[in-house]
Amino acid sequence: MALLEATGIGKNFGSTKVLQNISLSLEKGEALAIIGSSGSGKTTLLRCLNFLETPDTGRIVVDGETLWDADDPATHKEREKRKKRLHFGLVFQNFNLFPQYTALQNVMLAGQLLARERPDFRTNRKQIYEGLEIQARRLLEQMGLSDRANHYPHQLSGGQQQRVAIARALALEPDILCFDEPTSALDPELTGEVLRVLRELAAKKTTMIIVTHEMAFARDVADRILFMDGGVVVEEGPAHQVIDHPREERTRRFLAHYSA
Amino acid sequence: MVIWSRLTESFWLNTQLFALTLLFALPLGLVVAFGSMSRFTPLRAVVRTFVWVIRGTPLMLQIIVIYLGPGLMGWGTPWPAGSFGRLWAAVVAFVINYACYFSEIYRGGIESVPRGQTEAGQVLGMTRAQIFFRVTLLQVVKRILPPMGNEVITLVKDTSLANVISNKEIIMMAKEYSAKGLIWPLFSTAIFFLVFVGVLTLLFGALEKKLDYFK
Ligand SMILES: Nc1ncnc2c1ncn2[C@@H]1O[C@H](COP(=O)(O)OP(=O)(O)OP(=O)(O)O)[C@@H](O)[C@H]1O
Ligand SMILES: [Mg+2]
Repeated sequence: MALLEATGIGKNFGSTKVLQNISLSLEKGEALAIIGSSGSGKTTLLRCLNFLETPDTGRIVVDGETLWDADDPATHKEREKRKKRLHFGLVFQNFNLFPQYTALQNVMLAGQLLARERPDFRTNRKQIYEGLEIQARRLLEQMGLSDRANHYPHQLSGGQQQRVAIARALALEPDILCFDEPTSALDPELTGEVLRVLRELAAKKTTMIIVTHEMAFARDVADRILFMDGGVVVEEGPAHQVIDHPREERTRRFLAHYSA
Repeated sequence: MVIWSRLTESFWLNTQLFALTLLFALPLGLVVAFGSMSRFTPLRAVVRTFVWVIRGTPLMLQIIVIYLGPGLMGWGTPWPAGSFGRLWAAVVAFVINYACYFSEIYRGGIESVPRGQTEAGQVLGMTRAQIFFRVTLLQVVKRILPPMGNEVITLVKDTSLANVISNKEIIMMAKEYSAKGLIWPLFSTAIFFLVFVGVLTLLFGALEKKLDYFK
């Protein structure tokens, strides 16, 4: 059974249907890229998976556990959303680092707060915090940012900030890590360093959903690609096939903008 | 010399009123701010109307209403007799008034923090309280320090309005001398206010500098 099964996801904002009957599944260790033109609903889909928006229809099942079922009010409890979110991580287009914390603190903060809920927190506080710091430093090193651990976000370039944000998301070890156009707020020279990190994550079999406009990257790194248009899934398939031999006319027209 | 020490003594009342107002109005303002941002429409409407009324009427009038209102309505005055009761009536009026002004500053500050900050906290499994205290609050403080500095400086000078219900603060004390034909004590009260405001200006400057480390 797939790690993530999302079926029939629909979302309306007022009378506009932003998502209609979106289904996707993701195996553990798989990287899925989502492509599509502006306004096609890619961000909204990621926000639904992370419970920043509540889907109007459909189900989200992770690892056999139903996190959301539009028809089952028992899955709608506000209080349980917080725990359910932890199955997913989300890296934002504009990083959203916490400006008052250093890179290292940004990566550790959520873990420290969650640790308070552990039964052994009071007795093992020191070891727990030390463990979190070791983990955070290791993640920053993995992102090539060892020497930036004590820098504040405004002292970092966009590409560095985005890599801190990726480390921050990884620190909670989510089942599925989502990226919403992680490089589109970056200058072209800085895009490469973030894409390199994503390639490494893919090589390590991190389960990921990446919304991107970098077609070459999507083809090379993702296992599968999903093309969205107007709130529906138009085409889905192995990455090379969707980019190089799209079946649908709409996909072809969309990709034509990038081949030039 | 006697005059100076009597002026200093009476300025102690301004200082007390100042300190007590901040002590209660700073937290109360936050409560009012949350009320005025509530998603529960009736509460939001009530709070915003209240803020409008308080900000839309003179503080001097509010002091009088708080002190004399209950008695005039036939409810019996809640204020103890004497200077103690007069001070507390003034404190209550000031706290209500300043909490409303602070609430608008807080609201502006809270709303100016990008939504993405809250969302980043949510995605990282933080509770609403954790997001507020660990993510939003310091950013709000940084943004509101300049307008708060203004408001606090205004408060220093507003404290003399308490004399409308016979609180013997510094201006009232000095006026007693001018009524007797001695005018310089009235003008010298400016020194007290200037020194107080000068200290506050330095303090706020230092606080702003302390929060300069992030953007
Ligand atoms: N909170 C909202 N309220 C109303 N409409 C919204 C809201 N969020 C998104 N929309 C609309 O939903 C549609 C899909 O938006 P979304 O941001 O998901 O698209 P996208 O595929 O991520 O686009 P882009 O490539 O520009 O990021 C758009 O038409 C947008 O205007
Ligand atoms: Mg988007």
